[in-house]
Amino acid sequence: MNRKANGSTHASDAAKAADLLVTVASTLNERLAVTADELARSQSLLREASDELMTAFRGAADRIVAAQRGADAEKSDEYGLVLDHLYRACQHLQSHDLVNQLIDAQKLRVDKMREKLVQALSLAAPPVSRPDEAEPWIERSRAMLDCIVAGIRQIDQDAHAPLGDKHHAGSVDLF
Amino acid sequence: MKTILAVDDSATMREMVTFVLESAGYRVIEAEDGAQGLDRASAQNVDLVITDQNMPNMDGLTLVRSLRELRDYKSVPILLLTTESSDSMKSQGRAAGATGWLVKPFDPATLLEVVQKVLR
Repeated sequence: MNRKANGSTHASDAAKAADLLVTVASTLNERLAVTADELARSQSLLREASDELMTAFRGAADRIVAAQRGADAEKSDEYGLVLDHLYRACQHLQSHDLVNQLIDAQKLRVDKMREKLVQALSLAAPPVSRPDEAEPWIERSRAMLDCIVAGIRQIDQDAHAPLGDKHHAGSVDLF
Repeated sequence: MKTILAVDDSATMREMVTFVLESAGYRVIEAEDGAQGLDRASAQNVDLVITDQNMPNMDGLTLVRSLRELRDYKSVPILLLTTESSDSMKSQGRAAGATGWLVKPFDPATLLEVVQKVLR
């Protein structure tokens, strides 16, 4: 009778642990859904701003390049000043582009992790075959954990975030 | 007029490079990745290649190696323009046959100086 009581306690503990894992996985998945949404909104705002800036930049750049051709020395100096301003804008537009790529990489990471969490949660959906025994609950928890760990391991795959660091930005090495 | 091939999977980056080079009087042709860059360079001789490193289909280092195997590109300067800045990547670039390594975001005046230098 004691053995049966002990087995039942183990099964109950194992079931609680499995439930806890489900709660953790689903909470994490919900939080990541919020993160994914905020990343998408940030990217959308950045893209809108970048598109507007690019349109303005393109217009100014085309005109200055056309006007430069055949300009006299005096005008050429003036155009040179305008070009300097456009060159500065050019550097910042590159940064916009790099941030956009960074967001892409983060979105991919979040999506991949969410995919694995959903997969782990689906393992907890079917009813346990022998709920009064600890082993099936432990197996379920192990399968879920394996799935989550696999998600963590592959999180960087295919997410090619631009590496850029301020220290080396703009540096030149000629071989 | 010197012709420069700009290879980058980012349209914005290609546009920035093209603008800077055209403003200095160069002719620029563009490619979206290494494979397209190799096709363009094979179809038409260019005086300089500026390529990104991380791109789909073919990365920058593979493009450099592939170009160096072509008779017409044994001595044409090839610059890597990338966010990668580690010494090991630069060493790989050098071993592949690249002429130089520039880290993004680039300063337009510096890019033009380097281009003038390697085209001399």
